Amino acid sequence: MTKKQSYLFTLIVIIAAISLVFAGPSWAKVEGDTIIFGAAVSFTGKYSTNGKHTKNGYDLVVKRVNEMGGVKVGDKTYKIDIKYYDDESTPARAGQLADRLIKQDEIKFILGPYGSGPTKGIAPITEKYKIPMVEGNGASRSLFNKGYRYIFAVLSTSEQYLAESINLLAEKFKEDGRDPKSAKVAIAVENDPFSMDIRAGVVDDAKRWGMKVVIDDKLPKELTDMTATLTKVKALRPDALIVSGHSKGAALAVRQTAQMKVDVPMLAITHCEAADVVGKFGGDANYTLCATQWAPTMTYKDEWFGFAGDYAEAFEKEYGYVPPYQAAESSAAVLVYVDALQRAGNFDTEKVRDAIAATNLQTFYGWVKFDETGKNIAKPMVLRQIQKGKYVPVAPRKFAAGEVIFPKPKWKDR
Amino acid sequence: MKSMGQKSVFYGVIVILSLIVPWLLPAYQTQLAFLWVMVVFALTWDVVGGQMGYNSFGNIVFFGIGMYVTAVIQRNMHFDIEEYVHVAGRVETLTPVQYLEGLFLGMGAGVVVAVVIAAGLGACILAMGMRGQYFGICTLGLGVAAGELANGWEYIGAGSGLVTPVFPDQLGQRGAFFYYIFFILAVIAFLTLRYLYAGRFGLAINAIRDDEDKAEAMGIHTTRYKIIAWCISAFFLSLVGGGAGHLIGFIDPTEVAFAGATFGVWMILMAILGGKGTLWGPVIGAVIFHITQELFWTYLFGWQRVALGALIVAIVVFFPMGIMGWMRERWPERFGHRVEEREAFSASKGGG
Repeated sequence: MTKKQSYLFTLIVIIAAISLVFAGPSWAKVEGDTIIFGAAVSFTGKYSTNGKHTKNGYDLVVKRVNEMGGVKVGDKTYKIDIKYYDDESTPARAGQLADRLIKQDEIKFILGPYGSGPTKGIAPITEKYKIPMVEGNGASRSLFNKGYRYIFAVLSTSEQYLAESINLLAEKFKEDGRDPKSAKVAIAVENDPFSMDIRAGVVDDAKRWGMKVVIDDKLPKELTDMTATLTKVKALRPDALIVSGHSKGAALAVRQTAQMKVDVPMLAITHCEAADVVGKFGGDANYTLCATQWAPTMTYKDEWFGFAGDYAEAFEKEYGYVPPYQAAESSAAVLVYVDALQRAGNFDTEKVRDAIAATNLQTFYGWVKFDETGKNIAKPMVLRQIQKGKYVPVAPRKFAAGEVIFPKPKWKDR
Repeated sequence: MKSMGQKSVFYGVIVILSLIVPWLLPAYQTQLAFLWVMVVFALTWDVVGGQMGYNSFGNIVFFGIGMYVTAVIQRNMHFDIEEYVHVAGRVETLTPVQYLEGLFLGMGAGVVVAVVIAAGLGACILAMGMRGQYFGICTLGLGVAAGELANGWEYIGAGSGLVTPVFPDQLGQRGAFFYYIFFILAVIAFLTLRYLYAGRFGLAINAIRDDEDKAEAMGIHTTRYKIIAWCISAFFLSLVGGGAGHLIGFIDPTEVAFAGATFGVWMILMAILGGKGTLWGPVIGAVIFHITQELFWTYLFGWQRVALGALIVAIVVFFPMGIMGWMRERWPERFGHRVEEREAFSASKGGG
């Protein structure tokens, strides 16, 4: 009797709340003549910049495909659309949202989030519900050794990102008549799944050449300063400095090496374009080596966009900036779905999954062909050097448009 | 007795509703499972933060410990560690028996580790007499430190995190499975706390909250009670953490396990929203908070955090005592604190 009312109140609140949630809109996988994909992307939090690139990449394909009539599945042509949620750059949220997309919104085809962390949060969920996920932004190789059947990545895995820079270093050493074994490498990476893999790839390649890793720093996730690492670099004089930490890490490496006038013959980083290091730091960004999944100068083509350059043009027209590869690989992920749906001829998730697994497709982004773990094995990473404010592909040889400048000129000579 | 009858009807309704709700709303099982996680968060925070008046910002530590211990035991029992950490070859899925073995043994071990650590930390921090904001800041540091430690420890995956095995199909629905685990945990936590608050323990920690020096002068072993209270928090939090790690599927050191900025803050918010220092307050707070949050996420796309922030400000401004506190003030004759028979009895029994 004493707390009767409070109990009643609680009960009412619970019931009201449950009914509120229940009243939410329900999305089906196919509504009328529209196929709806689901994606949890980082709109807020530390990946928000790249989350935006990801969303723009997805949206551009949606727009283009719909303008060109849509996707033909079986006898009918469908428009496509995407239902988004904000994963706030955390894996915990990403996983919950994937669950929500699949169970509440009844979405049958998932597009990946941005970043290996959130992708790792989603993969167990899509695996559990046997719903395919095609992703373009989860590069951590630990995504592909769990025996997952439903995850497909159009991008090169992260251990390949900067490994090429080590090979380039060895090549340059040989050209100069020096033993690659005498090369010293410094590594500073953010302590997250993606960058730790980059480190693993670099360490493996350095080991293969017998190079010595003189600095091996892990940077915090709240990446705002790396002067401690750079002070060590000044003292130990390594031949190459490898930095990885998404966009923040890229901006930080370029800014602080310039500020501290750190002279290192080679600076190799990821996410140059996404961080817009040229726009932000101008000449200070010159001679930096940038790993890229894709570049607008490549000569791949597809039926939707034409050549890579055409894609870049369309993207810039729509969003007002040159597409970084994060946008391109996101677009490619949607194109893989479009192709697989057309070949599958229906919406059965198993059939679509098998069609995706059998993909052998050229897109503006490059060739896409998955191995049994779901990685794209048909597309190499490219290394570009910023020369006079332009990105010049320098490795591998096949894509090289210019010669790498090594060693980097000293700051006093610039 | 009429009130007893009504009470049992009320509890019965809640239990039955809770038991059938995953089947009424099958699509919402995972979110409902998290609802019970939130309830345990708020309840356990309130033991120390509300009933005892020690604002702890570090309870997330025990959640993370439970999560990691469970996941590591699950991994070590069934997988080659080298293979699991250093990415090579395929990792096969587990059989239901293996999965359950690993999960429950892991949760058990997680509790032991968490309670031992809580006692150890308590012996260091609380026995030193740290109080008020000093205690708050100290525990805040604990949470951050735990995250950073996990971030650098290769054995538990360091910054790359840990992936828990995929839920075996034979065990039925994943959402429902964890829903019931968390539901049972929340019920046990609620009943345990109800029992404890009604007795000497509750009076002692309330006395500590009201005036610790006086409580001590009256002969209450304040340090002992404080440590016990913290261990109780750790006990339930680590159990929930063990389950949550498996439900989420991927354990990131700072964003899932030791997520001070999200789970760590939410547990405090929920308790305050519902009314700290009350039994039902944290439960009500958790339910309202979780549902509001889920609604914001769906309908206020991109603005959800802003809306949540505004809600928090509104709560603190308009309901500084929380919903239960507000109701007590508004309708003291209905919700006000009453000395009930059992309480009076145990109070008279325990003198000092």
